[in-house]
Amino acid sequence: MAVILENERITEGIYRMRLSGAPAGRAGQFVMLRQKGALDPFLGRPVSLFDADRETGGITLVYQAAGRGTALFSKLLPGQEMDAQGPYGNGFPLLPGDAVLIGGGIGSAPLYLLLKELRAAEPGRQIEVYLGFREEAYLREEFAALADTARVNIGGYVTGDVDFTQNAAYYACGPVPMLRAAAAAAAAADARLYVSLERRMACGAGACLGCSIPTASGNRRVCKDGPVFPYREVRDVL
Amino acid sequence: MSSNALITDLLGVTLKNPVIAASGTFGFGREYAELFDVSRLGGISGKGLTLHGSPGNPGQRIHETPAGLMNSIGLENPGAERFVRTEAPYMRSLGCAVLANLGGHSEEEYTEGARLLNDADIDILELNISCPNVTAGGMAFGMDPACAAGVTAKVKAVSRHPLLVKLSPNAPDIVSVARACEDAGADGLSLVNTFLGMAIDIDRKRPVFENVYAGLSGPAIMPIALRMVHQAAHSVRIPVVGMGGIASWRDALCFLMAGATAVQVGSMTFAEPSAMLTIIDGLAAYCEQERLANINEIRGIV
Repeated sequence: MAVILENERITEGIYRMRLSGAPAGRAGQFVMLRQKGALDPFLGRPVSLFDADRETGGITLVYQAAGRGTALFSKLLPGQEMDAQGPYGNGFPLLPGDAVLIGGGIGSAPLYLLLKELRAAEPGRQIEVYLGFREEAYLREEFAALADTARVNIGGYVTGDVDFTQNAAYYACGPVPMLRAAAAAAAAADARLYVSLERRMACGAGACLGCSIPTASGNRRVCKDGPVFPYREVRDVL
Repeated sequence: MSSNALITDLLGVTLKNPVIAASGTFGFGREYAELFDVSRLGGISGKGLTLHGSPGNPGQRIHETPAGLMNSIGLENPGAERFVRTEAPYMRSLGCAVLANLGGHSEEEYTEGARLLNDADIDILELNISCPNVTAGGMAFGMDPACAAGVTAKVKAVSRHPLLVKLSPNAPDIVSVARACEDAGADGLSLVNTFLGMAIDIDRKRPVFENVYAGLSGPAIMPIALRMVHQAAHSVRIPVVGMGGIASWRDALCFLMAGATAVQVGSMTFAEPSAMLTIIDGLAAYCEQERLANINEIRGIV
């Protein structure tokens, strides 16, 4: 049973929720989060893992109060029981060598756990982080503590700051226009880029086919076959 | 007594309990088999099949509504042939009754699909007659008693499996369709499929779904579904499988009391993957508490 330990606003519209008793997962995976027993809102909301503690069985989510469901989340208090189904999805592949992480807005959240996992797997590797925000930056200190460089772009195009010609693995999560720009730059530089996609989901587990996308190799479910894909596979939806 | 009390006969097939996963909400069982013990279910109705398979609809496919959701998946499926080859044997291995759900866009597509499914090791063929009939101007088969009876009779004539016809709640007179399907040889009826609804994206000033209209399901529709199941069950002599917004064992019991032989649970599984297990446990506890030797004792008492 997942219980809210902490649910605090970190900046306008952005919240951090810490849950105990929730299944830990890997970077890039998500949980389907809903209030236990609630029929309205009816469906869980897919929220990616910001941090996970395998030992205590706790997870931390950073989410944006964007619609009715997430706005209700933001008003919940510690002690509230939650349904956190999952973790679902494939997660980011941990490629050896240097890494470049590119986040746009709330899409930055899953990159923090990725950064932690990359660092733990290979402490000596170079990791560059680029975060783009429309108005106000958040999570900057968390990333800066673990990355070799952590640069923030406010109001501009974060992909423009990135050198895609390095011998590194590139990971991106953010709005579609940002992913599209990253894919174009990666194609020009022949870079290894993985993108994490977002789609409306009913089940999150691969059954409802609500998040099917056309790819180079047929329909793929963002929830189960993704949400992380090599960018070449999903260029039709970018 | 608790577990035996739920044993249910449906069209000559023995179900461990009257709770079946609804078509389109459970794939072919693979995904949820990773999450809970699906062998505890009464049965699984597989994802709706079409003769040639389909990539499904483009655009947004899911839209949440108060206590429900709308979907426009568009029958994305691997086709009847691949189902027979790979999905049906897998479903058989899961340890509960297997229903194959078949749709089509012409009588020929239905009968061809049903013929292929004769080679599948399934228990029941569930016919989805909510698909538009291309040769009759695109109106769904299930909207009209004569159309529904026509496809039911043709499929019944070629299929070796017990035939459950799944009715659309969008028919102007669902009782007439129910009676027509019974007269045409259906062994049982299942209802309701989704209600046709609409959602508009006011920011983009256009419909949410590319097909404009989409199917509404979930707890929001339950009272209407229950009324229709009650009407149908009191109008035909063949078994009726009730569904529409079931979220709890109490909801399931309502459908059984209204005359349903078994129930299907769909949307609630999306919200809570193991909801059907909670429902089965709740029904078993109810039988024990009410000292029912079998749940049949309360079937149709309302």
